[in-house]
Amino acid sequence: MESYAIIGFGTAGYHAAKAIREADRTGRIDVYSNTGKAPYNPMLTTYYVSGKLSYEAMFPFGSLEEIKKELDLNMIDRQVTGLKAREHVVETEGEDSGPYDRILVSTGAFAIAPRVAGLKEEDCFLMRTDEDALRLRERLDRQDVKSAVVVGASMVGIKVVELLVNRGIQTVLADLAPYMFPTAAYENVAHEIESRLKARGVGLYFQNTVTEVKNAGGSQVAVMTGKDEVPADIVVLCIGTRANIGFVDPEEVKIGKAIVVNEQMETSVPGVFAAGDCCEGNNLETGKTQIIGLWANANYQGTVAGNHMSGGRKKFDGNILHNITHFMDMDFIGFGDNRAQGTVLTSGVLGKGLYIKVVCRDHEIVGVNILDNYRISGIIKNYMLRLLQGGGNELTVFQKGMLIQAGMDESFIDRLEETVSGTN
Amino acid sequence: MGLTLDLDLKKCTSCGACAIACMDQNDIDVEQGIRPFRTVFDWENREKDSPKFVHISIACMHCEDAPCVTACPSACISKDRETNLTIFDNTNCIGCHSCAMACPFGIPSFNEEGKMQKCDGCVVRIQNGLEPACVRACPVGALRLVDTSEIEGEDKETSLQKLGREIVEFQT
Repeated sequence: MESYAIIGFGTAGYHAAKAIREADRTGRIDVYSNTGKAPYNPMLTTYYVSGKLSYEAMFPFGSLEEIKKELDLNMIDRQVTGLKAREHVVETEGEDSGPYDRILVSTGAFAIAPRVAGLKEEDCFLMRTDEDALRLRERLDRQDVKSAVVVGASMVGIKVVELLVNRGIQTVLADLAPYMFPTAAYENVAHEIESRLKARGVGLYFQNTVTEVKNAGGSQVAVMTGKDEVPADIVVLCIGTRANIGFVDPEEVKIGKAIVVNEQMETSVPGVFAAGDCCEGNNLETGKTQIIGLWANANYQGTVAGNHMSGGRKKFDGNILHNITHFMDMDFIGFGDNRAQGTVLTSGVLGKGLYIKVVCRDHEIVGVNILDNYRISGIIKNYMLRLLQGGGNELTVFQKGMLIQAGMDESFIDRLEETVSGTN
Repeated sequence: MGLTLDLDLKKCTSCGACAIACMDQNDIDVEQGIRPFRTVFDWENREKDSPKFVHISIACMHCEDAPCVTACPSACISKDRETNLTIFDNTNCIGCHSCAMACPFGIPSFNEEGKMQKCDGCVVRIQNGLEPACVRACPVGALRLVDTSEIEGEDKETSLQKLGREIVEFQT
């Protein structure tokens, strides 16, 4: 009987377990997770805080009991303290388990929380886990929060801003970057979004962060980098995440910013796999490994890891950076590297319906921003992925038709095809 | 293996009967700004060497390895165990549009509450021995409910499913 260890049970671990069970009905699957909870989705936390989802809905695959029964898992509720990768042994608080035939590391990532001088723990919030969501919602439900500063103009940060504004809380968004969505947006698109946020009453502080929180005249204020003082009953830190791999020895397993994996999600140590936000898979655009910390990416990676662990031959060639965020009645979509230079094509006018900006280079699309139209996003992403993977340099007739139905200008489609095919 | 809807590109006349039947079956109120599940249009390929005029009727392609299922953060979209059609329960849909970004066909639409909805292949009709509404209404037999195993042998000049398979394999 084969033996498998899954360390960490988020969506990547869950999908790996499912894939293992599809191929191996009898093997022993030990799942190391000390949360006592089913896999949750970090992306849903703000929706719980806003009241759009119930607490249970943050756990999209059901309860741990249901999953454990469905997949016949052996849950081990102990903290993993180390991994003897080459020996395939898992260390937990003084106890070694194994050797296992195959091991998956799927421990995800944790929110970065730098210390802010003067900020009391009760007024400092993160937005990553279900506990973070519970804490913030409980605090907001006390209705004593009149002002807030959100640090991090990210996809999470903007959703926190939205829910605070919807509760009538005076909100400031700060980021050390010079503009909104600094890793995804082109500057002109970012500025359009910023103008809309300002119109909704959101204070914006770029190239700024909170340096200190103090009491001024009986109320709490955040002191910004530029010395401005803004009201801040609470501060929400949405700065970013870091791979949760402190127990993995970089002398044994190749690690960059996360565990480096190949297209089978196998690490540098045979039989040891990694998937989800704790790993670096291939970026199809750059050809280098990179953390692409997205829900769907983790699901693909977990599935392929589980398949390969149980003798399958599936591959996950990689992904591109891609984001869609729907907030305050707008959609922002970003694909690829927003710093990549090339031939720039645009269609539409910012603020007047569908706007798209595409950067092309060497017969490929290297970056895309779309504002105010989700309908075209999947087709454009598909085109970008096909160009990167040699899947043809023309949109299909039905894709063209659907783009036009969604409001895209036909002449733009022609220009885009001509540019990537080199006939322009 | 399972079921899917295929369109014969040579037979379709883009008459729109399928879209009307779909709207009726699914109570789509276009006057409220709700996009129908099925989109019907003509497409003229103006290339000098091979000009073409094609008629298209497209709704959810019920991909075997559906990217929207993987992308949905709330697990609202799934494959029906009996038919393998791509079905949904939008109770916990957050309206994030991740499914739209995952779909290479531009299919997901959203209702008045901002929750995703799309063609489910008329799975309830099928379970009761009936054809999907669009198939039933098609006057030229262009739309068919087929077994997915049949697609492999189809020609991409006539089968929308065959054509679709060529692009969906690149989607992540």
